[in-house]
Amino acid sequence: MSAYRAHNVQRSDSEVVIAEEPATQNLTGSAAITIDRLTKRFPSPGSGDEFVVLHDISLMVHEGKFVSIVGPSGCGKSTLLNVIAGIESYDGGTVTIHPKAGRSGAEPRIAYVFQNPRLLNWLTVEGNIHFVLQAQNVPRQKWGELVAKNLEMVGLAGQERNYPLNLSGGMQQRVAIARALAIEPDILLMDEPFSHLDAITARKMRFDLMEILTRAKPTILFVTHDLSEAVFLSDNIYMMSTKPARIFKRVAVDVPRPRKLDDSTLFDLEKSLVREFFSVVEAKA
Amino acid sequence: MPLKKTKHRPLPGSIGRVLPGVLTLAACLAVWKAISLFFYPIFFPGPEVLLERMIAIYSDPASYTVIGQTLARIFEGFVISMLIGTALGLAMGLKRGIEIFFDSWIMVLLTFPAICWAFLSVLWFGLSETAPIFTIVLIVFPYVAMNIWAGTKAIEKDLVQMGEVYKADRLLILRKVLIPQLMPYIFSSLRIALSLSWKIALVAEAFGVGSGVGQKLIYWFQDTRVDMMLAWGVSFMIIMVLIDLLVFRTWARRTFAWRPQVAT
Repeated sequence: MSAYRAHNVQRSDSEVVIAEEPATQNLTGSAAITIDRLTKRFPSPGSGDEFVVLHDISLMVHEGKFVSIVGPSGCGKSTLLNVIAGIESYDGGTVTIHPKAGRSGAEPRIAYVFQNPRLLNWLTVEGNIHFVLQAQNVPRQKWGELVAKNLEMVGLAGQERNYPLNLSGGMQQRVAIARALAIEPDILLMDEPFSHLDAITARKMRFDLMEILTRAKPTILFVTHDLSEAVFLSDNIYMMSTKPARIFKRVAVDVPRPRKLDDSTLFDLEKSLVREFFSVVEAKA
Repeated sequence: MPLKKTKHRPLPGSIGRVLPGVLTLAACLAVWKAISLFFYPIFFPGPEVLLERMIAIYSDPASYTVIGQTLARIFEGFVISMLIGTALGLAMGLKRGIEIFFDSWIMVLLTFPAICWAFLSVLWFGLSETAPIFTIVLIVFPYVAMNIWAGTKAIEKDLVQMGEVYKADRLLILRKVLIPQLMPYIFSSLRIALSLSWKIALVAEAFGVGSGVGQKLIYWFQDTRVDMMLAWGVSFMIIMVLIDLLVFRTWARRTFAWRPQVAT
């Protein structure tokens, strides 16, 4: 681990560093994402000052794990995902993404499920998936199989030729998940993907996501403000506070899958985390 | 979708829909005819005189050469205007520097009198094919550019960001993300460009080249034959409306098939 970090840590330019060697094994499995003392500032409007969005963030996501970042809105969670996705620059520290073992040398594939489906409404469901496959240079002869497999996985088999606006919000978000999984990502970033759905649909989607993940097994970094969602889905939870955004706690959720929504261990964990959250937030206020 | 039946609609659907239009048209024709009774037919022709003249025009094979010449000029001017206008509008919308540079130039071009371009192009290009096309392009492309530029302001940045996250290259983002969002603006530009092009083509022909429908208009104008001028003008207008209905609307309907409610 320290071997590659040593030559990366000095870099403070805005490039996402891609490890040249396959991730090294350690006690808890190989790392998929390593973030080391990441800092990000935005210029404040008006004054010449800068506003610190992310302060000294360090975290590690292991391959095949589901890791959540929980924090209040405006704490910079989405900015963190955007930095990892490579669409936002940063001011200090390193972000390292390791290609999946067995795929060394290849650029790691990153998929992103946003708060809104962000589908191209003028393309069919199938066309939306083709768009990302073409963007990622996946050979055309694989497209048919990838579309069929992933639509089937999210429960939308047979909707290939339908247009997104004919689908409900929940179904559109399923298409977005199928689109993300279709590129067979090393890393799947999810930014509050269920927050715009009604409570019942969201619950069903969470359940189905767990089911899907027993089949496709990407590494997931999931951002949410909903602790019960995080506790139900995650292997690890990072808790973030605001102003500046910093991580104040890392929790492991050692409950085997499949999990039940009314699992008492999960419920107790959630309760204690909520208590802790408020004590930190109130201490600041 | 079946229409909800109401008591106020005793007529079968299709007749009920067509009838108001037919009545309006009939009323217009009656008023037109009534006014025409006070004038000489060559000064203010009635509808039946106009129809007669139009039939005369369309039964003369030589007329098709004349119409063909004008259509070719309109088509060339229209296509070039659309290409330049779309490219410039897109460039202005996507690149801040280009936007600042052309912002006032577009206004200058839009406000420059059309008639000046018509005269200038005759002086510069003489009685060539270039003159009317040059006139059309200089007048029409700023409208197209302006319209497409306005369209770029409505682009959803979130979708562009989605494309970038999935590492789509610029060409793929342009084709699948940007252009489809501009399609409503492109269609309105097409229609503005076509209607402007044909009007300007006739002016340019009347002043310059001495052929095409414009030449026919100036010829009959010098003969003070309003009936013939109207016959040429109206028959040509019908062709342009047909192009709009058959080509643009059909194309628009197919393009926007993804919308739950088709709006053209």
